[in-house]
Amino acid sequence: MIQLSYLDYIAVEKRSFLHRLSPKLKIIGMLVVLFVIVTMRSLPGLFLLYVILLTLYFAGKVPAKILSLTLYPLIFAVLFIFLSGFQIFFILLILLKVLCGSTGVVLLLATTPYPSIFSVLGRVLPSSFVIALFLTYRSIFILLTVLENTQHALYLRGGVQWKHPWRSLINISNAFGHLIIQGIDASEKMYESMVLRGFKGKIHYRGE
Amino acid sequence: MSHIHLPDGVLPVWLWASGFIVVILIWTILLRSMKKEDLTRRLPLLGMMAAVMVLGASVEIIPIAYHVNLTVISGILLGPSLIFLATFVVNTILALFGHGGITVIGLNTLILSIEGVLGYFLFHLFWKVLKRLTPAVFFATFIALLFSTSAMIGVISLGTSHYEELIHQERGKGIIGFEFGKEKEELHPGQPAEEKVNLGPFIAIVLPLGFIGWMLEGVITTLIARYIRRLRPDLLRLEGEPL
Repeated sequence: MIQLSYLDYIAVEKRSFLHRLSPKLKIIGMLVVLFVIVTMRSLPGLFLLYVILLTLYFAGKVPAKILSLTLYPLIFAVLFIFLSGFQIFFILLILLKVLCGSTGVVLLLATTPYPSIFSVLGRVLPSSFVIALFLTYRSIFILLTVLENTQHALYLRGGVQWKHPWRSLINISNAFGHLIIQGIDASEKMYESMVLRGFKGKIHYRGE
Repeated sequence: MSHIHLPDGVLPVWLWASGFIVVILIWTILLRSMKKEDLTRRLPLLGMMAAVMVLGASVEIIPIAYHVNLTVISGILLGPSLIFLATFVVNTILALFGHGGITVIGLNTLILSIEGVLGYFLFHLFWKVLKRLTPAVFFATFIALLFSTSAMIGVISLGTSHYEELIHQERGKGIIGFEFGKEKEELHPGQPAEEKVNLGPFIAIVLPLGFIGWMLEGVITTLIARYIRRLRPDLLRLEGEPL
């Protein structure tokens, strides 16, 4: 999750033709990718889509180290493979669908700043949902800062060691408890500052 | 663990589309039943708790590929209506990072909501009966996770005929398949029985791993609740406890 801030940094700072492309076009492109993933049942077809996405990934100057994010969902896809009784076609189909989907979304997020994505979504989805999405995204960064500070305290109390599972569980839980309390305090402050800035149930994006 | 980490294109269209329809209906009902000012005031809290859940989902317990959901503790703190809205947001954000498909957001929201809403009600029920925080939170979490995992298995089992269709796709069908509501699959006569989808091994893996996960999440949620009670008991809104 720490990579999230890096992903956001890339979306804002990097310059490539994909970064310059309109967010609306990129979201439409993602929907097309999604449609192909849902409907395509051919391995060569899905493989071709994956190759196209990878080509766009590198053409978009997205750093290779972010590529690990696209592989993460494979851990869970493995569980689903047991359903098929290890049919090779089904396994490859699932793996390619996972890779295409995750590469598509990571590519979208790495080339489009999140306010631009939410701005486009705000035109088609209910405003309360888009505001909640926006605030959640913002809160993740606030909590990451809290988490960074908490990590030092956690380390001083023994951190997470598999040799001492009970102490580790207490430390993890206290860290989450601290995160929740800090988060709730921060949400109250966030609301007060939003009201001070004239928030009346709608977020206005730059250019609107 | 108790939500579907499935990619797009695996579940039948009718199933994931129904998930979206139900979620949109519940979302609309909830929004209409809440005062606008009240919702606006609580949106930052909703966002913050959703962010806590997203961070919880990113802490992977490597040996068993389990991550905590923190849905029950969020449900206790947010209440049953807001936890539903929060799980919808959480699943959307997680899907944007490739953690579960975009098309399964609706179904995942329903499954995670079961956990949060049930957790909230069970916690208050156990608190009324037992008057002790530790067993109340632990059993509420454990039972809520048991139900949501069962719901997840139930949802996956609904798509069995579709998986069979995908497995047998190899045998001379087209490259594109988009059959809305199609359930029946034409099995070839004399097809070997072992090529059928078997939920047994899947359940045999998910349930023991799930059990470890429910215990783990039960303990973590209990310890979090105890920590919160020490510092901010007002957040837990415990009946009969001085604020």
